[in-house]
Amino acid sequence: MADKTMPISVPSEKPLKVIKWKVKEGNKSEVKKFKALRSGTIVSIKVKEGDIVEPGGCIADLEQCRHPTVMKEMCAECGADLRSGESQKRDVAVVPMVHSVPELKVSEELAQKLGREDADRLLKDRKLVLLVDLDQTLVHTTNDNIPPNIKDVLHFFLRGPGNQGRWCHTRLRPKTHEFLESAAKNYELHVCTFGARQYAHAITELLDPQKKFFSHRILSRDECFDARTKSANLKALFPCGDNMVCIIDDREDVWRHASNLIQVRPYSFFQSTGDINAPPPLPEEKTKLLSGKNGSQVSKDNQMPTLDAEPEKENKEIIEKVNSDKKDSENGIIKDKKDDKMENDANEKVETPVWVESSEGQIEVDDPDDYLIYLDDILKRIHNHFYDIYDKMENSENEKSIPDLKYIIPEVKSQVLAGSSLVFSGLVPTHQRLETSRAYQVAKTLGAEVTQDFTDKTTHLVAMRAGTAKVNASKKLGEDKSKIHVVTPEWLWTCAERWERVEEKLYPLQRVGQSSLRRPPAHCNSPPPAPAVRKRTPSGRFMDTINPLLSFSSDDIADMDREVEDIFNESDESSSDDEEKVLGDNDEENITEDRLLSLESGNSAQERLQEKLNEDSNDSNTEDGERALKRPRPSTPSDDEGPPDDDDTSWNLMGAALEREFLAQD
Amino acid sequence: MFYHISLEHEILLHPRYFGPQLLDTVKQKLYTEVEGTCTGKYGFVIAVTTIDSIGAGLIQPGQGFVVYPVKYKAIVFRPFKGEVLDAIVTQVNKVGMFAQIGPLSCFISHHSIPTDMEFCPNVNPPCYKSKQEDNVIQEEDVIRLKIVGTRVDATGIFAIGTLMDDYLGLVTQ
Repeated sequence: MADKTMPISVPSEKPLKVIKWKVKEGNKSEVKKFKALRSGTIVSIKVKEGDIVEPGGCIADLEQCRHPTVMKEMCAECGADLRSGESQKRDVAVVPMVHSVPELKVSEELAQKLGREDADRLLKDRKLVLLVDLDQTLVHTTNDNIPPNIKDVLHFFLRGPGNQGRWCHTRLRPKTHEFLESAAKNYELHVCTFGARQYAHAITELLDPQKKFFSHRILSRDECFDARTKSANLKALFPCGDNMVCIIDDREDVWRHASNLIQVRPYSFFQSTGDINAPPPLPEEKTKLLSGKNGSQVSKDNQMPTLDAEPEKENKEIIEKVNSDKKDSENGIIKDKKDDKMENDANEKVETPVWVESSEGQIEVDDPDDYLIYLDDILKRIHNHFYDIYDKMENSENEKSIPDLKYIIPEVKSQVLAGSSLVFSGLVPTHQRLETSRAYQVAKTLGAEVTQDFTDKTTHLVAMRAGTAKVNASKKLGEDKSKIHVVTPEWLWTCAERWERVEEKLYPLQRVGQSSLRRPPAHCNSPPPAPAVRKRTPSGRFMDTINPLLSFSSDDIADMDREVEDIFNESDESSSDDEEKVLGDNDEENITEDRLLSLESGNSAQERLQEKLNEDSNDSNTEDGERALKRPRPSTPSDDEGPPDDDDTSWNLMGAALEREFLAQD
Repeated sequence: MFYHISLEHEILLHPRYFGPQLLDTVKQKLYTEVEGTCTGKYGFVIAVTTIDSIGAGLIQPGQGFVVYPVKYKAIVFRPFKGEVLDAIVTQVNKVGMFAQIGPLSCFISHHSIPTDMEFCPNVNPPCYKSKQEDNVIQEEDVIRLKIVGTRVDATGIFAIGTLMDDYLGLVTQ
């Protein structure tokens, strides 16, 4: 900063008399003509009015613009071009503060000031910040061909690069509008999605045509610093810390298991498609969905290493996508079978979307998803809790500090089952330690105590099936105290989903049969949080934490440049020939690619078919069964695939054994 | 600033267009290829007014494509530093506002908006408002601004504007 302040000297050779100062110290807005060589701010005046100044004597210090706001490498205050010339000026403005315009950057200082203003305003309005994910949280979008007449499905066209584009079909989660309306009262809403910018803006336009909820606060993949996590952008958007930030998302990993995240139950409507914008970016994922009996759907996606890709082995049936009919029309007989099965499924499953053709030719879909009602309630509770604490803090002496949602949200969650003491039966394999099981962790986050065996305090027994030793023991105990609730694991999962203690009577343990959900559903089924490692950059400067490149000195960068140039110079002669060849071959390659694509799509239809037949033991005819035998199911991850999770190895083994048995029967 | 200048352009034509309508095709192709484009040197090509000459076509050996050098006159829009222009506000945020001058986008930093105007994020749409509330700038409003800098790339121009001068700001119709 000091080097930006330059002395203004008397320009003439002769001594001159200062008659009147037209500028004041610190005066920024008014610029008077002094024939100065550069524009800037007068920081100090060295001579008084009426003084005589010797030639070369200093009359005032002029500070140049520090370029605190930069747009496209151009200072937004003085209009100076920062691309040419001194590079050290560039690193003043580094924080992209506006969601949708990554080119607009402001200095750390200004970012802090704006962040503070934002925080003050939020506190004044008694609001919090809510980052909202789109795909599978509020909407579900597919690129597949779907019947055009489904009710409540919105269609829009996205123009891609060149002349091509794609149709997207989006279904809003039931009660989305009511949810947004209600959440906007307590929260400032931001969109935070991995969809492309165009897609994010199109969806937001559908959700909020008047721009009253989200305004321009839309962060899309194009603005994300990191293709795999969204948490990297938080520092730029909220330079004063994310104390007041609450997040709703169906993926925990993209936020690095932040504690201020509310993981929602993934919303799935089009049964053939998962999250079309899941990281890492894939143009069109064929994700198959498995459905448990209670309707919570587990999206299975092999391309996502972080998502648990272990299929459920018991009680699962694949619901075939309705819209695959067109593609599979050549397999007429099997299609009919599939349709039959669809109807059966529709009758059996209460909670999955049911497709019914109404008289007006519109396909009405009975969508039982009511998660947003609970989510709205959770958000209200968090908001109330935050401001309760804030009000208490304000009454005490330290007015400055703001409570941190990173602590408040786990606290709210831990009140759900506070005071309860659980015992698990058949939920955790005997060779696994209780503390490492997912169910244990879920129960713990809800504030419940979990013990290996019955104690005086035990209130609930979560059992997989009737007839275990613990279930029997609980009956005996129950006679004495009659206070132990015997429930199925769904009770626990539902509590975790709704953040409330649901009525135990709704989840009684059936005498016959096994409870279906041994494994936690998607919203509480993610790998355990990695210990939060907060790295401090050596310089400790805020800007270094955003972009590691900025911490290199200019010499380092120059060295790197030189290295790269050397490499280019060396390989110049050899590479030019190759390039021409590639250009020449381009057309041919395109054709083969197209062919490959069509082949692939044919394959995938077949694979789906086989998978379905494979699953459906009653229906399988011998021919197809044999085919299925010869080819391993493509979607089943083998045991050696990926790093074995502690939690899952046992299930993997059991699953493999089951599968072998199953196939041998055929 | 607008200029009416002579420009040149080369049209590459596929042999399938060789026929009686050949020159019409060349003209059509010229319109679609140059109107609406932006060059760093001349700015935005707004409209082609006259086509002065279509030179002799040169067949590309080995391909069959033909290249026509075309001379034409066009109206171009080239923004300059210091120029005062009317713009439409497109986005208002805490850092400043974005405005559109026809094809040219422009950013006005909060610092370059008169100090008596404050950012109000709570109203919909967000706006800059003076304390007396008599002067409100929000989306879709017409403002008069002065360009203080331009970023000229090979394919586009971006401008930085200011409202800190006499007679700048909201234009009331």
